[in-house]
Parts: sequence; structure tokens; C-alpha cells
Amino acid sequence: MSHLFEKIFNYQLSSRLQETGVYALTSQERAWLKSMLEHPAAQEALQPETIDKLQECTIDEEMPNILDRLEQKAGSRETQVFQPWLPTIRELMRQHQSMTIQCRTKKGKLNDPQPGIPCKLEYSMVKREWYLYWYNSQTRSLLHTRLIHIVSLEAASVSQEDYDQQMHRAQKLLQAPRHEATVEVLPIFNPELTRILHAFSCFDKRVEYDEERRTYRIHLTFTFSESQFVLTKLRFLGKRVRVVEGDYLKHRMRETARKALALYQTDSEEDQTIHSEKEILERRD
Amino acid sequence: MAKESFDKEIQFLRLLALTGGGYDRKQFAGRLGISVHTFDKTVRRLREVSGDADFADLFRYGYADSAEPVLLFLYRAKSMKESESRRLPLILTALKNSPQTVAELLELCSEELLLDAAMPDEKTIRSDLRYLEDIGVVSRESTQRPVKYNLNNQLTDCLSQRELMDLYEFVDIMANTQIPSVQGYLLRDNLKKALKSATPKEEWDEQWLEPFSYKYHFDARILDEAHLYTLLRSIHLRKQISFQYFSPKKRKSYAAKETNPLFVQDSQPRRQQLLPLKVVYDHQYGRWYLIGEAGKGRFVQFRMEGIVDIAEEQDTDEAEFENKLSKLDEQMRYSWLIDTGETVTVRAKFYRPKKQADFIKNRVQLQGQWGEIVESNDDFFIYEIQVNGVTEIRPWLRSFGSSCEVLSPPDLRQSFIDEWKEIEAYYESSF
Repeated sequence: MSHLFEKIFNYQLSSRLQETGVYALTSQERAWLKSMLEHPAAQEALQPETIDKLQECTIDEEMPNILDRLEQKAGSRETQVFQPWLPTIRELMRQHQSMTIQCRTKKGKLNDPQPGIPCKLEYSMVKREWYLYWYNSQTRSLLHTRLIHIVSLEAASVSQEDYDQQMHRAQKLLQAPRHEATVEVLPIFNPELTRILHAFSCFDKRVEYDEERRTYRIHLTFTFSESQFVLTKLRFLGKRVRVVEGDYLKHRMRETARKALALYQTDSEEDQTIHSEKEILERRD
Repeated sequence: MAKESFDKEIQFLRLLALTGGGYDRKQFAGRLGISVHTFDKTVRRLREVSGDADFADLFRYGYADSAEPVLLFLYRAKSMKESESRRLPLILTALKNSPQTVAELLELCSEELLLDAAMPDEKTIRSDLRYLEDIGVVSRESTQRPVKYNLNNQLTDCLSQRELMDLYEFVDIMANTQIPSVQGYLLRDNLKKALKSATPKEEWDEQWLEPFSYKYHFDARILDEAHLYTLLRSIHLRKQISFQYFSPKKRKSYAAKETNPLFVQDSQPRRQQLLPLKVVYDHQYGRWYLIGEAGKGRFVQFRMEGIVDIAEEQDTDEAEFENKLSKLDEQMRYSWLIDTGETVTVRAKFYRPKKQADFIKNRVQLQGQWGEIVESNDDFFIYEIQVNGVTEIRPWLRSFGSSCEVLSPPDLRQSFIDEWKEIEAYYESSF
């Protein structure tokens, strides 16, 4: 495997070729593709004939089994890379078509089929799952549905004018209002700064450093639906960080701390030795 | 040409990506331990490569769910002579149209670069073709003389527009969800052009280029792929390596001296010696680790972001390598991440949400690695796992907030109580 910094990838070269339709495919890229074709997702995403052709073109590439010594840890189990509904939905989106969609709710109840327009397909790196944002033409609202909850989905006809109008409304709704919060890193944890910044690096953020107080502040912006994940990250980091601005997050953190302590309450109030682990298990607040 | 190093740029971009471009020049330079002058010089260079007038803006708000990897331009930073950057596009374009001989290419370049000071000779063209052949961009049409060269684009040429679209979307998904990903992103850029060329102008839709979005990506992760192949290759060849290491925790220490060794050419800090055994990617933070043996059976771990200037050293005997690797595998069997400390059993009680879908159990099953649910009823379940030390699993357990009660070991339970007290005290007083 050659070096990732290749002359052929050079920015001057690529900008000269920009408008020409000429491109240079390297062995590295083919070797990468070859290894990805072995992933089960390839069978779902590509036609068998396409896979045959691609395998033919990458047959000489050697992806030495160097990737064997690469391990991934502490991630979510990879349950879904490709989802069978993706091609159908992408086709509708490309053709600017509307759809009739029937889904289950989170608790498993089956909803009636609804008319709508697919707006955006999104993959969560945390949940390792696909979601569809779609506009419900009947209720005029924007919905967020897990692809595995879709039971049926069929193309429906819509005039270009109606489509554009509904899409326009949907786009406005997609621009969900954004919330802001400021998180401060406790100065005694400054040595762990890069780790903390890494943890927040998946959010929209800006970091500010107050030299006098030797304090780092992280300004986060997020939508309401993302706030749950922000909270998870805050709990993940524990006492290293504090929300200094953003009442909603502060309230939630206070609530979490109170409730968590309630779970352990008797430990501190009574003689701990009388509680065997079994008793702790049986206790419910 | 001397081997070009991008260690400075990588360190620089990482800080920029992590801080969202929020530092002022002086703070930024101070944090990296460099002068403001060096800071400005590095910015100028990167700005040129990224082609963006104010590239620091890329790292501020509003890009977090994009499928375009904002840091990919780093891999376009390898320098090239001006004459080369004019000649290679001519050669590639000619080869795209039809197979060419060296003489034909020379004639073409001579015509096109008529006014150019550095007119190529046959030797130059041959060396260009040798390079392109080495990296798999061109191939020889036949062995007959004079040899004709082809542009090696069968991969895209053999596909219909429909198939190119499928491939583009597949590559988009794989580059964004799998590691390693840099080559995937580079391929994705090339497929954009292939797809555009295969589509009649009146049918083309720019929106095809971003079919999906990806949430909660760690942007800085692709920077470390710069060293990934060098390290994996050394492991594959059973080679010892040496490198300089800057512990991320100690960054302050050289920042104080205003001289980051990385940015000073004549410094000679002590080099680390290591037999590399494996690379670990940590999904919790989007960070990479290198683990190896540093002599006398001592296993050591390094954060990839602190490793610079890697050099291959002597070979290691295969049997010895296998022996060390199996010892390491044994020690890491119960590492939540990379901890090789003493193995303990952690038991935690998870409370199910009331009147809602059981997202707690889903998350425990999704992220709880090899741990098991050993007891379960309508209200809660007990999760049990053997891990090396409690340090690495602790944040994950804590992230469940009041849905998780640690049962054992007792000192972990006590530390949760202490920490929640501290957190409660702060938030009670924060309103």
C-alpha cells in the first residue's frame, strides 16, 4: 500500500483537471474498493452484475491483509450499514416524486398509510442506523422515521408545482431552531483537554480560552432533538465539565444527579454492611 | 526531493478542528508552541491547498452533518513542481482520449507548453509515465514497441450511468461509515466526475452529489490515517520502528518554551523504539492508538496523534513476533479499550424507561461489548462484564445517568456516589 500523500492527489493538479472530466484512479482507491466489496453491505447496495464488473477491475489490486491488525473498540455494534429501503427512497428523491408511506411507531403500533415527500436520508454514527426525514402532506409536518420502522413505501404522483411547494415548506421545517449552551472545562482537568475536545468534536462548536482564568469554554449549538445526545456526552465526561450557560441542560443535569443519588441513597444513610448485593438489587426507588 | 513531512500540518489541523477555529492567532500559536510568524506561514500554505479564502470558517458552525470530509484537503498537500502540474494534466487528458506512445506525448507537450520555460524532454515524459504506472493510474496497452499507454479507468468506463450512481452512493456510505476512509473519499471525488461525464447535461442534478448525511462524525479521525498505513505496513513486515512522541497531556510543557520541536528543524529529541503489534480505533472519542512492545516484554500504548517522524528499523523474528502478539492479545482480551490492568467484574443495574420503548436496553446491547444481561424483569435488568480495570468503562456507565446503578465492585460504586454528589452540588448552586 502506497503513501496517502501522493503527488497525483495534489491540489494544483486536481484544480487544473477540475472542469475537464479527466480523473486518475489509483491502485490505492481500487484496493480500498476491493476490500469494501467484501463487506456484506455491497451485496445489498449493488447489483450482482455490477459487483462482478468491479471485482474484475480490482482483481489485480493487492489489499495486503495489513488491515488485520487494526482493531475497533468501544463502538456501537454495526447492525446496519445499508438498508433495503434506501434505493427506493433515493429513486423517489431523484425523480422528485411523492410517496405513500406506512410505518410502525416506536412501541410497535402500525399507523395508517400516509401521503408524503421524502426529504433527507440520514445515518447516525452513534446508533448505527438510517433515518428518513419526510414531509407529511396531510398533517403538514416534518417527521423523522427509522428506516426499519417502514412497513411499506410506494411512489405516488404529485404535480411538480405541489412537489416544489411542499419541499419548500419541508426545507424550512428542516432548519430546526438551534439552541446554544456553554460548557466549561474545570481547569484541574485541562491536561485532559484534547480528550474532552475529541468527545465534543462531533457537534457544532467553538472553543474559547480565557487566559487569565486558564479556563476553556466550549460553545455548542444543537437542535432540540440533539440535546439528548449532548446530555449523554455531558454525563459521559462527568465532573470534568460543567454547563455554565443553557438552563435546559443545567436542569436536566441537576435532575440526573438527584435521581442518580437517590438510587444510592441508603448507602450513605444507613450502615452499608447490612446490605448485601442481593438486597440492593431488590430495592426499588 | 527530500521526503516531505506533513506532521506540522496534521497537528495544526487537528487543533483547528477540535477548537472550531475559536482561538485567536496568538492563542493558537501558543497552544501549539510556535511563533505567530510560523502560525501565519502554516495558515498561508494550508489556505492555498484548501482553496478556501477563510478556511478556518470551515470548522465553525454548520457543517456537522455533512458528508464532505472537511479535512480531506490535507491529503492534497503533497507539493508538485509548477511545470509538473502543467504537464501531467496534458498527459492524462491525452491518454483519456486514446492510447499514446512516449513520442506522441512528447510532441503534444512540446506544442502545448510552447511558451513554457521548462520544456519537457523524452526522459521527463518517461519518468512521468513510470510514476503514473507505479501508482496504477496508467497501464501499458501491449508489450509491442513502441509501447502505448492507457489511462487505467476501466473501473468507471465499464459501468452504465445507473451503475455509476449506485457505486457513488455505495462509496459515499462506506467512506463515511467504515475505517479506513481516506481512499474512499478520494475515490468518491473521482466518481463525481465519472458520474457527471456519463450524464447528459440537461439531466444533471447537483443534489446527486450529497445523497446522504451523517450525524455525529468525528472529523479529526481522518488526520490519523496519514500514519495508519506506515504503521500497519511495519506490523505486517514485523519491523521495529522508531518515532518521536509528544504526549498530548504534556503539550503545555513545550508550549511554555515557545518552541514546539515539531516546528524547529534542528532539534533532536529522544526517539521511542517499539515493535508495533496493533492499532486500535476508539469509537468513543474517534481517536487512534498504537500498541507495541518496548523491550523486555513491556507493552506500551501511544496515542497516534502524538506520533511523528516514524522510521522503520530492524526486522523481528516471526516466531518472536507471534509470541508477543499472542501475549498482548491475551492481556487485551478484556480491555474495554486498551487497558491491560487487572481484570475485574463490573455489575450494574439498568432501570427500564417507564411507558416508553426500551431505549436503555437497546443501547446496552448495542454498546455493551461482550458484557451480558444476567438477570431481567419488567423494571430493570442486571448487566455484567469482565473488564481490565474500571477506568475505561466508567464514562460509558456514567453516560446512562440515573438509569444506571453500579452494584460492584464496591469502590466503583462509591466513586459514582462521590461524583454524582459533586455534580449535584454544582448544579444546585448554578441557578
